[in-house]
Amino acid sequence: MSLAIEADKIFKTFKSGWRGRKKKEALRGVSLKVKKGEIFGILGPNGAGKTTLLSILSTLLLPDHGQVKIFGFDGIHNGHKIRELVNISSGNANFLWSMTVRENLNFYGMLYGLIKKDRLKKIDSLIELFELQEYRDVPFDQLSTGLKQRLSLAKSLLNDPSLLFLDEPTVGLDPDVSARIREMILSIHKERGITVLLTTHNMKEAEHLCERIAFLKAGKIIAIGSPQELKRMVRIGDVIKIEYNGLILEDQLLHAEGVINFSISDNICEMIVDDGEKRLGSIISMISKNGTFIKNVNIGQTDLEDVFIEFAKGSDSDMGLCD
Amino acid sequence: MYSLNLQRALIQIWAFVIKNWIMTRRNVFSFFEILFWPVVGFFSVGLLTHFLKLDPNMGGFILVGIISMSVIQVCQIDVAEALLYDLWAKSMKHIFIAPVHPFHLIMGSWLIGMIRSMVVFLLLSIFSYFSFGYNFFKPGFFPIVLFLLGLFLTSASVGITVCILILVFGYKAEVAAWSLSSLMSLICGIYYPISILPFPLPEIARLIPLTYFLEYFRSFYAFEGNLRNILLWGFVLAVGYLFLEALLFKVVLQRARRTGILLKLSE
Repeated sequence: MSLAIEADKIFKTFKSGWRGRKKKEALRGVSLKVKKGEIFGILGPNGAGKTTLLSILSTLLLPDHGQVKIFGFDGIHNGHKIRELVNISSGNANFLWSMTVRENLNFYGMLYGLIKKDRLKKIDSLIELFELQEYRDVPFDQLSTGLKQRLSLAKSLLNDPSLLFLDEPTVGLDPDVSARIREMILSIHKERGITVLLTTHNMKEAEHLCERIAFLKAGKIIAIGSPQELKRMVRIGDVIKIEYNGLILEDQLLHAEGVINFSISDNICEMIVDDGEKRLGSIISMISKNGTFIKNVNIGQTDLEDVFIEFAKGSDSDMGLCD
Repeated sequence: MYSLNLQRALIQIWAFVIKNWIMTRRNVFSFFEILFWPVVGFFSVGLLTHFLKLDPNMGGFILVGIISMSVIQVCQIDVAEALLYDLWAKSMKHIFIAPVHPFHLIMGSWLIGMIRSMVVFLLLSIFSYFSFGYNFFKPGFFPIVLFLLGLFLTSASVGITVCILILVFGYKAEVAAWSLSSLMSLICGIYYPISILPFPLPEIARLIPLTYFLEYFRSFYAFEGNLRNILLWGFVLAVGYLFLEALLFKVVLQRARRTGILLKLSE
């Protein structure tokens, strides 16, 4: 397996106050591996340590303990080499206020040492990709939040990074603008095959974009997996609601495969199953065997938000779910 | 490979020239920095020497001081603006996630600072000639070049110190951009010889390169100071400090990556 990121037991404590007496543990032994070409999400509540982790992986911050490797380069001693290969785009983007879209892109392009001819070509193509043509000569402080975010994404692709860090890329944006940004991220990933590591606390965004997700809570990763795997891990399952006439034997449901919990009242049976689509057929045939007439069936799928709530309310200790 | 690296480094240096130039062009306060304050300061002091009926050498002594101060002020602020603009824009992390070296950052800003302060020097020298009859081109081409080079090196030193303080103390260090050079002018004898300063200030002044460059240029206006090997000491100290500051900048940048101040300054 070819890895873009390998982080092993990362610890980070921020010190403040007189002689650094106030201490805040931001990361407590975070380990993760991200494959090349993957979109990997870091999900967690505010203050969980998402931005700290992303900053360490992008060499903006050094860990207190632990090892970071980006494409095999040591994150502590080969920072300069890594910075050639990565770039970052953050929500609430900030750039030099008087400089126009094109001037900002030109400046950051120069920081990557791009020669003029290549740089101007690249800037034009990024302006086109992010539909910034009519704003190319507008100063940064006159752009809307959505346009600033598009500029930030354009800037992050100037050096054709192999690894792109996106820190809350849609925070504070209108839903339609967020959706557009997400589509742009997906299309960049598809076209260029770059590895993307994004932090978010937007469940829908994580579910829509990420192949795998790590849940971070109080500086610790408490689960890693694909959205489907995470749903299975917390065993929230899907909800099947059956309206019927006749009889349902509780004993049958207790022993039915995949049924986690159920309740019956007023000819409505509500059950939680591990996988609604997979279990529905067998459950219906089991109920129908007794001569029970099924009037209506409804499947409610669990979304990542339920998983997030489940993880967030769990204890701080490891849930034994990390791989 | 070497030429490619050199070309790349030159582009990275030029980025900071372009940045400071664009930001200056669009910022009304920059106009005040480059023209208004130096010109106002120069005429205030020039008229004072006129009112006090100082003899030509004494008048020249003081005007050399005010011109030097203006050159340093303008040049050092440009060097400090290598980080100040990004501090104000909260875009610091975008600089340091790019593969730039502190040298690119300082060199680029210093270049634009030298150009801007050269304009200030020329302007004030012309005003000085036509308004007060002092000819600051009298020492000749090479002495002027050496004097200006000394001032530029001193400015780079002050500007880097401001950058270092920003990376250590963040926003609190902003004030250093305007106060450090003023403090230095007090000790180096911008308007008076350092011999009149109380102990231990003259000894401290001897550790500051500006003291030597001022005395060098004033020697062309019949001023005899106590310092020996003026130019040699001036340049040795200036280059020595720059070397130490370059090392310190790297250390402080590494520290900033450890403490998280780069992130704090980007929020």
